[in-house]
Amino acid sequence: MKMEDMSLSGLDNSKLEAIAHEIYTELVEDACLGLCFEVHRAVKCGYFFLDDTDPDSMKDFEIVDQPGVDIFGQVYNQWKNKECVCPNCSRSIAASRFAPHLEKCLGMGRNSSRIANRRIASSNNLNKSESDQEDNDDINDNDWSYGSEKKAPSRCRTQLARRSKSLKPKMYSNSAGINYETLGPEELRTLLTTQCGVISEHTKKMCTRSLRCPQHTDEQRRAVRVYLLGPSASLPEAEGGVENDSFEVAESQALMSRLQWDGSSDISPSDSASSKASECLWGTNNSESRKTKKKKPHLGLVSGAPGLGSSKKKKPKPPAPHTPSIYDDIN
Amino acid sequence: MNKDAQMRATINQKLIETGERERLKELLRAKLIECGWKDQLKAHCKDVIKEKGLEHVTVDDLVAEITPKGRALVPDSVKKELLQRIRTFLAQHASL
Repeated sequence: MKMEDMSLSGLDNSKLEAIAHEIYTELVEDACLGLCFEVHRAVKCGYFFLDDTDPDSMKDFEIVDQPGVDIFGQVYNQWKNKECVCPNCSRSIAASRFAPHLEKCLGMGRNSSRIANRRIASSNNLNKSESDQEDNDDINDNDWSYGSEKKAPSRCRTQLARRSKSLKPKMYSNSAGINYETLGPEELRTLLTTQCGVISEHTKKMCTRSLRCPQHTDEQRRAVRVYLLGPSASLPEAEGGVENDSFEVAESQALMSRLQWDGSSDISPSDSASSKASECLWGTNNSESRKTKKKKPHLGLVSGAPGLGSSKKKKPKPPAPHTPSIYDDIN
Repeated sequence: MNKDAQMRATINQKLIETGERERLKELLRAKLIECGWKDQLKAHCKDVIKEKGLEHVTVDDLVAEITPKGRALVPDSVKKELLQRIRTFLAQHASL
């Protein structure tokens, strides 16, 4: 200790500086040695070159820092990658429209089940009210969250409005219900044999749902028929046909005789007959006939109104059966 | 000469005893990583290893290649700071 003191105190500045440098060099060499050990170990263990990539791919994935492009050097495009190709028809569809398209294209989902329902209904002439009922059930299912009974008329209207948007854009654009004042007696009868027809007190329009529409009571329906057709008319289905297969031949015969149905095809509610008739009468293709229907609301009503409960198909194809043939048979 | 060597040994012992040597080493390591010295040397290591072949590299090779470069690459600021700390240490212990 004593010697150390002596030695240290006896050193001049240059000597101290030399010692300091020596220590520094030692430290740096230590650090180098440490690094060498580290690298050597990494090499021998085989993980030294792991984070290495060849310069070509490094260049490929270089981060781009330029205005107008993202870090991959791609131009930002709002609509890019937002189109899907339909596997069925191989059209490219905007992603937001893809699910609805697929539903229609592949024939899955609620819509097409409804189409299937309608096909069954049209093949089975007598089952008109059943298919109608099913359609209405579907609609109710769709709209059940709309809520309570007091909104019932507006429910009818919203459904109809939605339907008419897709099906017949301008036909009932102002109001969804049917304005009974514009109808002739024939149409009224046709209407009342197929539809609920209860007149809303708010809109003064007729309910276009099936005869067994849950929004209105049999009492209301009967009252409307008495009001529009006179006291002789009554609710057609009040005679016990409350089952799904309600339109028995005898019953419809009775109904028809009561309404003095003449069975002529041009005002029949049958889909194919009426569309054919309208094609003969008004034009050659559907759009034309639809246009003319728009001008002549009563005819459009005949072919279109029974289909209101059915879904959005391009061609208005109501679930109404081929009534004239039945009635011809009956008569 | 004998006295000089003895003195160096004494100083080294002091450095280790007080823990100053460890502190200085840690400081130097941190500074060198901070200024990129380590990355530079690693890149150099890669060259050396590729040159010699992955299997034939020894620690001695690496030390021989790396140390001179490492010494040269230390930034002046780091060098100055470290020397300053060593001087302070020496001054403290010289005055004892």
